[in-house]
Amino acid sequence: MTTSEDADLKAAVFQRLHPRVYLERFVAENVRPDGRQIDAWREISVNVGSISSANGSALVRVGNTTVVCGVKAELAEPELDAPTRGFLVPNLDLPAICSPKFKPGPPTEEAQVLSDRLNEVLVTTIPLESLCIHPGKSVWVLYVDATCINYDGNAFDAALIAMVAALKNTMLPKATYNEDTMRTTCSRKTLSPLQINSLPISMSFGIFDSHVFPDPTSFEEPLLDTSISVVIDDNGKISSVSQIGADVDALLTCTSAARKRHEFLSQRIYL
Amino acid sequence: MAQAGFDRRRINGPEESFPPVFDDDDDRRPSSKPRQGRKPSEIRPIFLQPGLITQANGSAYIETEKTKIACAVYGPRQSKNMAYSENGHLNVEVKYAPYACRQRKAPIRDAEDRSIGVAIHQALLSSVRLELLPKSTIDIFIVIIESDGLEGCVAAGSVAASTALADAGIELFGLVVSCAAALVDDEIWLDPTLDEAQYAKGSLVLATMPALETVTSVWQNGQMQTVDVIKCMELCEERCTEMHSVVAQVLLDSQR
Repeated sequence: MTTSEDADLKAAVFQRLHPRVYLERFVAENVRPDGRQIDAWREISVNVGSISSANGSALVRVGNTTVVCGVKAELAEPELDAPTRGFLVPNLDLPAICSPKFKPGPPTEEAQVLSDRLNEVLVTTIPLESLCIHPGKSVWVLYVDATCINYDGNAFDAALIAMVAALKNTMLPKATYNEDTMRTTCSRKTLSPLQINSLPISMSFGIFDSHVFPDPTSFEEPLLDTSISVVIDDNGKISSVSQIGADVDALLTCTSAARKRHEFLSQRIYL
Repeated sequence: MAQAGFDRRRINGPEESFPPVFDDDDDRRPSSKPRQGRKPSEIRPIFLQPGLITQANGSAYIETEKTKIACAVYGPRQSKNMAYSENGHLNVEVKYAPYACRQRKAPIRDAEDRSIGVAIHQALLSSVRLELLPKSTIDIFIVIIESDGLEGCVAAGSVAASTALADAGIELFGLVVSCAAALVDDEIWLDPTLDEAQYAKGSLVLATMPALETVTSVWQNGQMQTVDVIKCMELCEERCTEMHSVVAQVLLDSQR
């Protein structure tokens, strides 16, 4: 083995055996283990419309974290107490393919928590009344399914961008409800985009030894003391903030860093 | 018709929902001869990229027009809960993404996922040197992002899985390549799309190791005369040999 291969092997073994010390050594030099500056974000790339079997789709890469999202529209009867509201059903799946820590089987706790948080944010993006075809009889159901194919940390940010981009890309066929036959038929030729209220972007941070790490990777995530996510919509207003962990000082730093990042991202992501 | 039982682990929609019915559904004509867009013996161009899933030991993403499949290989890793075995285990799990087909599939794994898994397992089993990996398991996870027919998925999935195994550095006897064929009236059409396969009397998926000139699996469905089966296999084998050089080149390029 050459000396550089030898050094790589030693570094990899050290990373496995002493992850915390490994990370501390990088932080002391003001860099992150993947080479970025300590307060830098990873590159985001968004690609929409590639899945023809879905009404709308998006593929998002945040660094190595890759999330594919597809929107399928189906028809249903509305709830009795909300006859003019359609349904928006988001779900994030973290299958075994995306990381060695996920085993095949039903959704893990992490996937359930992320799906729930995404649901809370997405409820503000589309007015459910716009999905009504005929009050009390027929409404659209939008199933927004995101699948993570490569999990390198920060799946929440990536999944939110993927879901919102997919919704923006969705084209719904024109539906007409026939009162006599009580059936809805759709037209393949007339398609219209969804009515979108807001385009939220989420920015997540991790706190490690009172250092603020924006956009943590899957190596850093288990070592963080606190995680903070800030969701900002396209008007620059903060839509939601969530903190898991006991840190008291970081919240202000994170919200201002999130605002700065949002200014940079807002015109570039949801084209 | 998506009748999701209430799944407490996911966000649920309404109890019952139906895929949209289009007003021109009755007007759709079956595939007519001659074949639209390409010759009967032509297969669609393949885009194959190894190494996209950084978390896995090996991975590959394959795309042929409307079939998009991602595959990751984890292993060899310890066989938990299994008795001592002299040879390694090969475990193939296939999952459809809910938006992969024209009608939404619920995220529950059903018989179709498992049958594709079994077909791909059969195609790969004889190519992996499992006798070198006692007590170990190789896990192959496949996610079908967009599907254009069952045969297309099995064929593309086998190629992706074999590329991912090579990308993971697992010792193989050879690369497995696979091609599908459909018998439409009396013509044999290679690499059928979903619409073409629906009007076929029978279909065949052939998996071979061109490096050793051996067949690893033949999966035939429907009614076909024996001579037609042999003819399909011969046509598929020719295509497989061409595909093999493409796959080998892709793997070489990715290592640079």
